Amino acid sequence: MRVERRCVIAADRAAVWKIVSDPDSYPSFMTNLERWEVTSEQRSGIGARYTVHWKIGSVPVGGLIEVVEFDECRDLAWVGITGVNLRGRIRLRDAAEGQTKVTFRLSYQAPGGILGYIADRIAVRQVGRTLGETLKCLKRLVES
Amino acid sequence: MGTLADIMEWTRHQVVSRVPKADLDQRDPDYIRDQLPGTWLVASLYFRADVQGLDRIPAEGPVLLVGNHSGGNVPPDTFVFTLAFCSYFGVERPFYQLAHNLVVSARPLGWLRKFGTVAANHENARLALDSGGALLVYPGGDYEVFRPSWERHKVDFGGRMGYVQLARDAGVPIVPVASVGGQESALFLNRGQWLAKLLMADKLLRLKSIPISLALPWGLNISDLAGHIPLPAKIAIEVQEPIEVDGDDQAVHDKVMASLQGGVDRLAAKRRFPVIG
Repeated sequence: MRVERRCVIAADRAAVWKIVSDPDSYPSFMTNLERWEVTSEQRSGIGARYTVHWKIGSVPVGGLIEVVEFDECRDLAWVGITGVNLRGRIRLRDAAEGQTKVTFRLSYQAPGGILGYIADRIAVRQVGRTLGETLKCLKRLVES
Repeated sequence: MGTLADIMEWTRHQVVSRVPKADLDQRDPDYIRDQLPGTWLVASLYFRADVQGLDRIPAEGPVLLVGNHSGGNVPPDTFVFTLAFCSYFGVERPFYQLAHNLVVSARPLGWLRKFGTVAANHENARLALDSGGALLVYPGGDYEVFRPSWERHKVDFGGRMGYVQLARDAGVPIVPVASVGGQESALFLNRGQWLAKLLMADKLLRLKSIPISLALPWGLNISDLAGHIPLPAKIAIEVQEPIEVDGDDQAVHDKVMASLQGGVDRLAAKRRFPVIG
């Protein structure tokens, strides 16, 4: 499943990037975050690893992720190493003057064949809400 | 009398010989991973489960998870907690559960061994902990799991506290796991200990109870050996702070019981209705 939410933040890209590139700031804007730990010596950038779990349904869902793209002030992308198959991306692009368009995208696929597919379909609304709320929190954090 | 003793010994031998020897390698992380979405669906939609406090479990190393047990022979609390543990720590972290001899020796339940379920005895428990795994035990076992539904919020191990010695011997902390909801998945009427004694099942099969309940699809359900369809009771689980084994057995046991009962009381206070939650 692929879920995407967007928003426009009244700040330049550098200000937004400062937040999204800092692993310590994730608990303050990522919604439904149950667990967030830096698990590699490298705290940020390509190769940095984190354990991340969101509360989706009855239990925390997620696993170990690794940053695979760290394009300053433009793109931050990661892939899941354990847990559900997962790819995520936060994309920053210029909007009107002094504004940044932020796209938060999550692609995931649970194992287990048909049951995995059904679980993916059922979880998609909650995942969408989580992404939307996360962007609202990010917007508040940056604009404050 | 000699004949009766012979029959009892023969029956006991038949049961014991069918209990598979614990082989921790039977746990299959890939199998568990494939099953997680299905269990997530049941836990999230049917049992509307809520699991809190998983971060209190030490992130690595062996640990003894001690829970109160509910739900008869189809205990939703075990099912939900296993899903939560495997989701939170990943299927890669070794995680084992102790279960009654009859559960692990039943052919249709052979898949449980792939989840890390082994027969409940001290040797298997030590094997699991010494291998560095997390081990889930329910000391109340068949005594607690068949308590009447009106005692659903009472933690009752029936005086069993061998788990404290186990934790002490293995040098691991105890993490209490409190849960509510399981005893609302059927209407449990009586433990049937008198029936177990009458039929000598306590001696032959290590069955201390032959419970009597009202459960789907049977109606009147005696023994629950064939299981039942659980009602969609909301399951709530609270993982609690680790307890170090640093006093005598009774003192540690009292601490664990107090912690569990406190957790069950907190979870029960949040429930407005049985089953619905």
